[in-house]
Amino acid sequence: MRVNPNLMPDLLAALDQTKLEEQQDELELATGSSVNVPSDNPVAAALLVENNDQATFNASYLQSLATVNGQLSTADSTLNSVVTTLQRAISLGVEGANGTLSDSDRNDIAQELQGIQSQLISLANTSYEGNYIFGGTETATPPYTANPSDPSGSGVTYNGNTDVNEVSVGSGYQVAVNVPGSQLFSESGNDVFLALNNLISAIQSNGDIADATNALSSAANYLTAQRVFYGNAMSQVQSQTTYLDTAKQQIAQQQNTLGAADMATAATGLSAAQTDEQAAIEAMSKVSQNTLFDYLR
Amino acid sequence: MSGLFGTLSIALSGLSTSQQALETTSNNVANANTPGYSREVSDLEPGAPVTYGSLTFGTGVVLDEIQSLRDPILEIQLNQETQQQSSLNAQLSQLQQIQTGFSSATSGIGADISNFFNTLEQLSPDPTNLALRQSVLTAASNLATDFNTAANNLETQRSNLNQSVTEDIGQVNTLTAQIATLDQQISELQNANQNANTLVDQQTNLIRQLSGLIDVQVISTGNGGTELTTSNGTALVTGSQSFALSTQPASDGAEHVLSGAQDITASITGGSLGGTIQIRDQQIPGILSQLDQLASGFANAVNNANQQGYILSNSSTPQKGGNIFTTPTGVTGAAAAMSVAITDPSLIAASSDGTSGSNGNIANLSAVASQSVANGQTPIDYYSNLVFQIGSTTSNTSADADAASQILQQLQDERGSVSGVSLDEEAANMVQYQTAYQAAARVVSTVNSLLLDAVNLGVDTAED
Repeated sequence: MRVNPNLMPDLLAALDQTKLEEQQDELELATGSSVNVPSDNPVAAALLVENNDQATFNASYLQSLATVNGQLSTADSTLNSVVTTLQRAISLGVEGANGTLSDSDRNDIAQELQGIQSQLISLANTSYEGNYIFGGTETATPPYTANPSDPSGSGVTYNGNTDVNEVSVGSGYQVAVNVPGSQLFSESGNDVFLALNNLISAIQSNGDIADATNALSSAANYLTAQRVFYGNAMSQVQSQTTYLDTAKQQIAQQQNTLGAADMATAATGLSAAQTDEQAAIEAMSKVSQNTLFDYLR
Repeated sequence: MSGLFGTLSIALSGLSTSQQALETTSNNVANANTPGYSREVSDLEPGAPVTYGSLTFGTGVVLDEIQSLRDPILEIQLNQETQQQSSLNAQLSQLQQIQTGFSSATSGIGADISNFFNTLEQLSPDPTNLALRQSVLTAASNLATDFNTAANNLETQRSNLNQSVTEDIGQVNTLTAQIATLDQQISELQNANQNANTLVDQQTNLIRQLSGLIDVQVISTGNGGTELTTSNGTALVTGSQSFALSTQPASDGAEHVLSGAQDITASITGGSLGGTIQIRDQQIPGILSQLDQLASGFANAVNNANQQGYILSNSSTPQKGGNIFTTPTGVTGAAAAMSVAITDPSLIAASSDGTSGSNGNIANLSAVASQSVANGQTPIDYYSNLVFQIGSTTSNTSADADAASQILQQLQDERGSVSGVSLDEEAANMVQYQTAYQAAARVVSTVNSLLLDAVNLGVDTAED
C-alpha cells in the first residue's frame, strides 16, 4: 500500500499537541489553580462563583456578629450596673422605712436616691459606637431626659420608640440586637423610674415607704428578668460564630477541591509532556533524509 | 514486416517516450513540495500493430497521456472538513477571548454582587454609619462598572468581527474570480485536447482555500464547467463566470453578506466566515442579553427594596427611599448603561420605620440576594449559570475543533498516499526510464550498423 510520503505535518501536529499540554500544566503550576478559564472545568467554574459568594457572606456574618456582640455585651454590662444601682436604692428604701428616722435623715436618703435617679438616667442613655442602645431604633437621641413634670409621674421622658433591630447572622437567621428602653425601664406596671420617683416622694413626705420600696423591688426584678434576653442573644452569637468558623473551613476546603491545581499531577504531566516533546523532536530529526536518489551513481 | 527502417522507427519511439516519461518524473521531483500538486504518471501504450500475412508486428510505444493522480471524493471530503475546522477554529479563538472576562470567581460581576450584599450586611448592625453607607454605594458602583465593562468588551469584539467579515468576503471574491479564470483556461486546453493537469491542481488548491472561508459546494467538475455554490445554493462560480458577494451594514450595525440583493448572512455556516458570523450574531448577542437581564432584574429588585424604606434624614417627616441604580426603560442595553443613581450615602433607605437607627429595610435590600431576579434565578445563581454556559460552550467547541483537526489530518494523509510525490518512487522511475532510453539507443546503434552492412553489401571492404 502506498503511504503518504510527507510525514512532517503529522509530526508537527504531534509536537503542537505536546506544547499545548506543557502550557496547560505550566499554567496550573504557576497559578496553583486548575480552573484558570471557565472552559478548563465549566461546572467547577460555576461552583467557584457560588463558593466565593458563600465565603463573602460567611465573612460578612462573622463581622456582623463581632459588632453585634460588642453592642450586646455593652448593654448587658450596663444592665448589670443598673441592677446594682437599683439594689442600692431598694436598701435605701428599706432603711427609709425605719420609723425611728428623723426628717433630716430621710432627707439625706431622698437626696441619695435623687443621685441614683440621675445615675440611672445616665446608664439608660448608654451608647455604643455613637448609637444609644436603649432607645429602640431612635438611636440618635438620648432615650431618657429628666423631666419632673412628665405626665407619667416618673420624672423622666422617654424619647425612644418601641422598635427592635434585627441583624442577619446566617442565611435566613436573624437575631434581635436590642430591647427598647420602654420595655426595660418604662414597662407599664414595672416602670423603674416611676417606682424610684414614687419612693423619693414617699420618703420626702414620709408616706408609705415600705410599699414604694416593694414596688421598686418588683420593677427591679422585672428588669433583671428582661436582662436574660441579652444573655441569650450573646450565647446565640457565640454559637453562631463557632458554626460560621467551621463553615469557613468547609468553604475554603470546597474551594480547594474545586479549583486548586493538583501540583503533583501537574508536575508529572509537565514532565511527561516534555518527554513527549523530546520524542517528537527526535522523531522529526530521524525522519530519513536519504532517498533512493542518494544511492544512484 | 517493415524492414530495418521499421526497426529504427520502433527504437526511436522508445527513445522519445522514455525521454517524455523522464520529463514527467523530473516535473514530479520539482513539485515534490508544491502545495496542491498531484503527482503525475506517464501512461505508456504499445503502438498500433501491423500485420504481414499471418504475422503481426508491434510498432513501438506511444505516450498515451500524462495522468494526474487525484481522488475526487477525497478532495470533496477535504473541502468539507476544512470548512468545518475553519469555522470551529474561528469560533474557538473568539470564545477564548470572551471567557477571559468571566474567568475569575473572586472579581468581576459575580464577586461584585456578593460584595454588594456584604456591604449591606456590614451596615445592618450600625445603620447610621456614613462610612458603611458609603461602602454600599462603592460596591454598587463597582458592580455597575463591571457590568458596563463586560457589555462594552462584548460590543467591541462584535464590531471587530465586522472587520473580519468584510476581509473574508474580499478574499472570497478574489478566490472565486481566480477559480473562474482558471476554469476558462482549463476548458480551452481541454477542448484543444491538451493537458490541463497543473491548472486543475491550482484550481483544486484555490477551492480548498475558499473552503477555509465559506461553506462551498462543488457541484460538478470535469471539462471545465466547475460550478461552486454555498451550501444553501447561492452561486459563487459558474464555469468561467464568478459572482462577487458584497457586505452592507444592517440596522443593528452588523455587516451583512449579500449576493446581489439577497441577504445570505444567516445561511453561511462553514469556513471562518461561518464561525465568525455564528459568534457575532448568536453567541455574543446571547451573552449580552443574559447580562442585560441580570443587570435589569438586579437593579429593579434593589430599587424596589430601597423604595420600601426610609432614608437617613434630619427632617422630622420620614422620607421614602428612591432608586439606587439607573437602568434604561427596557431590558436591552441594561448592562451597558447601568449606573448608580445616587451619590449621597444617606439616600440608602435602611430604615423601615423612619427613625435613623432602624435597620429594618436592610433586610429587604439583602433579600434581593435570594430573590428571583432573572429567569427564576437568584442573582448569583444566574451569573454562575452564565459562567457555566460560556465555559461549556468554549470547552465543547475546543473538543470539536480538535476532532476536526484530527479528521483533516487523516484525510490529508490519505490524499498524500494518493497524490503525494514520493522521491523514492521517482528515483526508481528515473532508473527505469533511463535504462529504457539506453536500451533503445543501443537498438538504434545496432540498426545503424546493420544498415551500414546492407549499404555496403557486395563491396569488398575487407583489406586482405
